[in-house]
Amino acid sequence: MKQLKVFRSLVKDSFDVVTHGTVKYHIWMGFLTFMMLVGMYCYSIQLNEGLSVTGMTDRVSWGLYISNFTFLVGVAAAAVMLVMPTYVLHDVDFKQAVLIGEGLAVAALIMCLAFVIADMGGPSVLWHMIPGLGVFNFPNSMLTWDVIVLNGYLFLNITIPFYILFRHYQGKEAKSKVYVPGAILSVFWAVGIHLVTAFLYQGLQARPFWNNALLGPRFLASAFAAGPALIILVLAIIRNFTAFKIEDKTLKKIAMVVTVAAQINLIMLISELFKEFYAPTHHSESAYYLFFGLHGKDALLPWIWTAIPLNVLATVLLTFHKLRNNPKILYFSCFILFVAIWIEKGFGLIVPGFIPGPYGKIAEYTPTGVEIGVTLGIWALGAFVFTVLAKTAIGIELGELRFKNNKN
Amino acid sequence: MMSSSLFVNRSLCLIVFCMVFFSCKHEDKYHGVMEKIEAEGEHYQGVSLSSENYLEGVDTILISEGGHTFLIPERKNQIKLYACTECHSKPLAEMQEGDIKKAHWDIKIVHANEKAMNCVTCHNPSNMDELRSVTGMSIDFDNSYNLCSQCHSKQFEDWKGGAHGKRIGGWAPPRASMTCVNCHNPHQPHFESRWPARFNTQKVKERE
Amino acid sequence: MSRSNKKWFSLNLSRKQNDDSGTCGCGKTSGGCGSHSNDAEMSEEEFYHAAVNASIGDEREKDGFDQVFDVKMDRRTAFRKLAASLLIGAGAVNTSCSMLSSDESKEKAQIDWEEQFKGNYKLMTDDEKKNTVDRLVRSYQLRTGKTISMSSKNAEEDVLFGYAFNISKCQGYMDCVSACVKENNQDRNSQMQYIRIHEMKDGEGLKFDEADDNYYHEVPAEGHFYLGTQCFHCDNPPCVEVCPVQATWREDDGLVVVDYDWCVGCRYCMAACPYDGRRFNWSKPEVPEEEVNHNQHYLGNRMRKKGVMEKCTFCVQRSREGKNPACVEACPTGARIFGNLLDPNSTIRWVLENKKVFRLKEDLGTEPKFWYFMD
Repeated sequence: MKQLKVFRSLVKDSFDVVTHGTVKYHIWMGFLTFMMLVGMYCYSIQLNEGLSVTGMTDRVSWGLYISNFTFLVGVAAAAVMLVMPTYVLHDVDFKQAVLIGEGLAVAALIMCLAFVIADMGGPSVLWHMIPGLGVFNFPNSMLTWDVIVLNGYLFLNITIPFYILFRHYQGKEAKSKVYVPGAILSVFWAVGIHLVTAFLYQGLQARPFWNNALLGPRFLASAFAAGPALIILVLAIIRNFTAFKIEDKTLKKIAMVVTVAAQINLIMLISELFKEFYAPTHHSESAYYLFFGLHGKDALLPWIWTAIPLNVLATVLLTFHKLRNNPKILYFSCFILFVAIWIEKGFGLIVPGFIPGPYGKIAEYTPTGVEIGVTLGIWALGAFVFTVLAKTAIGIELGELRFKNNKN
Repeated sequence: MMSSSLFVNRSLCLIVFCMVFFSCKHEDKYHGVMEKIEAEGEHYQGVSLSSENYLEGVDTILISEGGHTFLIPERKNQIKLYACTECHSKPLAEMQEGDIKKAHWDIKIVHANEKAMNCVTCHNPSNMDELRSVTGMSIDFDNSYNLCSQCHSKQFEDWKGGAHGKRIGGWAPPRASMTCVNCHNPHQPHFESRWPARFNTQKVKERE
Repeated sequence: MSRSNKKWFSLNLSRKQNDDSGTCGCGKTSGGCGSHSNDAEMSEEEFYHAAVNASIGDEREKDGFDQVFDVKMDRRTAFRKLAASLLIGAGAVNTSCSMLSSDESKEKAQIDWEEQFKGNYKLMTDDEKKNTVDRLVRSYQLRTGKTISMSSKNAEEDVLFGYAFNISKCQGYMDCVSACVKENNQDRNSQMQYIRIHEMKDGEGLKFDEADDNYYHEVPAEGHFYLGTQCFHCDNPPCVEVCPVQATWREDDGLVVVDYDWCVGCRYCMAACPYDGRRFNWSKPEVPEEEVNHNQHYLGNRMRKKGVMEKCTFCVQRSREGKNPACVEACPTGARIFGNLLDPNSTIRWVLENKKVFRLKEDLGTEPKFWYFMD
């Protein structure tokens, strides 16, 4: 009963915290709310008319939604890069960052699930997918694996930080015996969610662009670059706007993680490009389409040729200690790396899988306004969730939020 | 540290085990569909379905050629002016004389070339109710495939087996197949070129 | 609860009272829904039981989630509670609006409700199949006033369907395409077609990427040949493997079918199909009423809804009756051959054994039951 009371008080307190803030904070939250409303409006159009209001067709049957889903799974998985050093290797430097990282993972996962639901043709019969209620095609369908690992990871990433914050809220120390097993599990789980998501595509013999053993590892490498890059940016913002102390040392260590991952990612990219273009086969056509266009169809060219130079530039900048240690350059490189990987792993990965189609037909894909609206709405939802979580967590960690046993 | 690494090892083993266990997903006992056909067709009992209902209203005759026994549509009752001898009471040469209006004026022979084929290559001038082979044997109109098969032996083989031509009724037994002249006009056996059929409300409208 | 022999939840809208529980149709516990209200508020536990009963009914036969887990009454756990509230919540909007309206719309609402929460066709018993088919026929009648016939015929013993396509014969007339659209009630707006005829250049082999599958000129065009593709009803279908809810499966007679009502519309099967065999209803499919083919099968050409997959079924409504699919029947050149692969005397078997046959993308191991051959 006491726990429940504490929980109620926590919810009330955190509600107070998230509804109060500076003018800038209110503008930010107001903007996110507005974007979410726009997204909901667009989604209502989509619900009414069907997915025909999107740019997807029978030829390119997955688009912006699944692209973002794929990318965000990576962001979510990247929280592990902070969890492992903190909880398992007991590296104190990461301690402040880890809660933020896990909050980010939660937000990313919520966005993932929202993107999947937005992509469904029949959201009203989604209960068919709930194990027990519907028919769950486990273990044959990789999508069911994905449902399990994503929800499991969401659960882990909610419970672990919640436990720690809950203890801190009561002014107690969190018991490592309780959360360390969960943290270790979440390390494996994070690798799992991203590998499984890669397998989702990798296992399709129909799509040679995806049916490639490097896809899974490359997913991991790019995730461990883009995710922590985002965490660096977020930490920088938090450091700027709140009293939450994040030391330079922490940022530097995360930057190191980003660097190594970006380098590995680049090596894999080179390996992939070599395979596709040194001895091109019929199966290299998708890569040709992506990088050079096929038969005059070249919608993805501007995207990929933005992504590749940004990727290379960011990796080079990060590689030099001197540049990396300069916060401005670090933030800049993290930003362009994030953008580059978003393009590469979103659009650059999903759309060419369908182009050319199974019989070599080239039908291009351009997202429509409705699709973009829903996408922005979901990103706003993610940012909103993250802001709420982060504000509460920071409040507790700074000691501003404490359970007051004043009623008795 | 010790215990955590043990835990890591154990869970790794578990994951690998699960992966191996679940990857055996092909519960089918056959390696390919041909193997399946062979195995499952071994004790073929026949099916309860029949095409007979779909053959109602079509007069058929049963033929047996090269080990294949099947139905083909009767031909003679489909020819409007059969029997031919109702008009062809005199030899051809006599009928072509004089001022009588020409019959069959619309028939053009576009079948092989003039050197190879004319009317009497197939029609028997001495008995117009029958066809005749190149060796002078008579062939019934109902069995006209025997005439075609003299030259088109490859097509004949395919037709008997079922690779050439079309079924009437359904796929279910008894087999009933169209005969040569049901698709090919014997005088102009080639298929005409034409515009593709497209049933599509919108496209049709756009085109109009 | 109703003691009638139904296993889905009946709303009892046209009957006077609910004799067991205090729930009204929409599932609200207090205040009632729409016009009528409950006097007594229920306790949480009462509501829980009512909701559970409401969602699963008295019958303990397999349907919906029971099909998989086959749980006994005593194993009622949290997920069942979840089920009940989910069912009730989703149905509330639907039904509460129709409380005041006519009997017909009540019946319609009831059918919609039962249809929304029925199980997967693949796992239904024959009776359940018949029930859902009856509901669908009745629903169509209520909506349009027209009577359709819908079959739920199962696969025949000793039948495995196969198909052969003669590349030498096809002239590209596309009679098959148009017959298919007519037969299978495909959406006219999006011009959905299961069959694609690829026009290829002579002397270049099978160059699909340079082929035209949307030609409109006099055919056969000089120096070209034609090859048709559709769903190949693979014996090892990747699309079936990947479906997260088993809404698509291979029947015993080899047909790969979709339960349109079970499909969640994730389009994973579409990505998994190497043969472009699947189509998605991006918007509500529309067929002018006078063009609707009223001879239907649950797994075949019945009317689809928006947001679900569909595909060629070898015209299951025809083939299970012994007929040829519409494309085979429509082909004027005899390029299409269909039959029972298990029957040693069938024409399809003769083609496989005597002609040089091949299949597309055989290296993928999908084992299509659709062969190509030449004269």
